[in-house]
Amino acid sequence: MACLMTLRSTPYGLQAAKESLDVTLVLAAFEQSPGILFIDDGVLQLLPPSHLPSSYKHIGKILCALEMYDIHQLWVEQQSLEQFGLLATDLSQTVTVIDRSKVASLYTQYDQHLVF
Amino acid sequence: MAGFLYMPNLTTVKPSAPNTGSLTYTIVVRCGADQQSQALSAFCFTKELLLQGHQVIRVFFYQQGVYLASGLKVMPQDETNLTTLWQQLSIDHDLELGVCIAAALQAGVVDQQEANRYELRGDNLAARFTLVGLGQLAAASAECDRLVSFGG
Repeated sequence: MACLMTLRSTPYGLQAAKESLDVTLVLAAFEQSPGILFIDDGVLQLLPPSHLPSSYKHIGKILCALEMYDIHQLWVEQQSLEQFGLLATDLSQTVTVIDRSKVASLYTQYDQHLVF
Repeated sequence: MAGFLYMPNLTTVKPSAPNTGSLTYTIVVRCGADQQSQALSAFCFTKELLLQGHQVIRVFFYQQGVYLASGLKVMPQDETNLTTLWQQLSIDHDLELGVCIAAALQAGVVDQQEANRYELRGDNLAARFTLVGLGQLAAASAECDRLVSFGG
């Protein structure tokens, strides 16, 4: 039962980004092989910690744990990256960039979806 | 409440209709009472599932949804107290109401055991709700035919 997590939340100010990654790790621990699609403000979660004021507790450590939890399916929507003037090489994780027109077919590859 | 045009009857209990194509559901509630129409939709959807003879493995309250598990809310007379509605639904259908323990503790929603553990002045988890780990969401999502999430 594979679940695609669609993460749309900014990492700033809200708990939502951390909470969505917590769910992702737990799903992985239960061997449900979750994938993650970063879209809209969610792409900002992938910025390296150096882009943030040090007073923020950054979610970077959780992102580093993704690989340890065997979460390798990381997708980033192309248009969301462009909206922030980012390139895939700016991001802290190795991701697959996917065009908006391909998102619908990505969704069909998963049994369940959680949107945060 | 803007846009919420259809107001179902929240209190009647119809007998379950025989349903041959019944499915198992897991419901995730991530919106609190301040997002009344979304939170109400979650309740109405769950209730309708049960009335139609589907099974709900567990309702999992997460993020803002944990506030619905606080028993220390007083609503104005003309407004709906969703906490009591969930409690009644849980009694009527033996429905499991799981609340994410990490989110609940941060929101100040604690049961007696946690209140003792952290030496807090009191506890406020409403009856029928239980504090559980995120693993209970993962387990239920693995088991169910349909996972439906509200809010966010």
